[in-house]
Amino acid sequence: MSQERDRILDLLAAGKITTEEASRLLDAVEARAAQPPAAAAPKNGSGDLPKFIYVKVISTQGDNVNVKVPLSLVKAGLKLTSFIPQPAMEQINKSMSDKGMSVDLLNFKAQDLEELIEALREMEVNVDAANGDNVRVYAA
Amino acid sequence: MKIPPYAVALRIVEQGRTKFRIWFPLFLLWPLAVPLLILTFMATLLVDAVRMLAGHRDSYTRLAVGVLEVVGETRGVEVFIQDKARTFALRLS
Repeated sequence: MSQERDRILDLLAAGKITTEEASRLLDAVEARAAQPPAAAAPKNGSGDLPKFIYVKVISTQGDNVNVKVPLSLVKAGLKLTSFIPQPAMEQINKSMSDKGMSVDLLNFKAQDLEELIEALREMEVNVDAANGDNVRVYAA
Repeated sequence: MKIPPYAVALRIVEQGRTKFRIWFPLFLLWPLAVPLLILTFMATLLVDAVRMLAGHRDSYTRLAVGVLEVVGETRGVEVFIQDKARTFALRLS
């Protein structure tokens, strides 16, 4: 909600909307935020938030892998990056960049984390290989 | 913050027979971890105080708390790996 509110205020500051329009938009944003969670339309067909990420590999040669990781662990791990002091974070970014991963963890915000977790709710990866192997990654 | 896992179950099966199996109550290690945690937090608080005087705003104490949160969230992790000869199963509960 705060992101929508900021956008509305930015539009008002830029003169793209009038004060009256901004006031109506802010009222609408606040009214939607005041709705109980059960009233919101569920995106994946059920009201329950997924609790785990599952990675399942089924191989025709008998090599199977099943991994179940709590989504809250993923969230806590990503949140941890915001607690890492800046000098250490720069070292980490440099090491990751040397290994070919150009991800700037300094720019990773808590808001991005919420959006990422929200997006994971609807994520499902299904890979069927030509030799019959199957890889499935999903959140449930 | 969640409580860390209280038990770990590990099982290794080879050629259809259980080669290794253990259920370990991790909660027995918690009393041993408390003095270590106290020392860690004392050190991080001291470092944070010195860094704050120097004008830095980062907090190693928050980092330590974040690490504890991650450890707590490992409850529920399950890993199952199976090939033709061997099966490995790990569960943190």
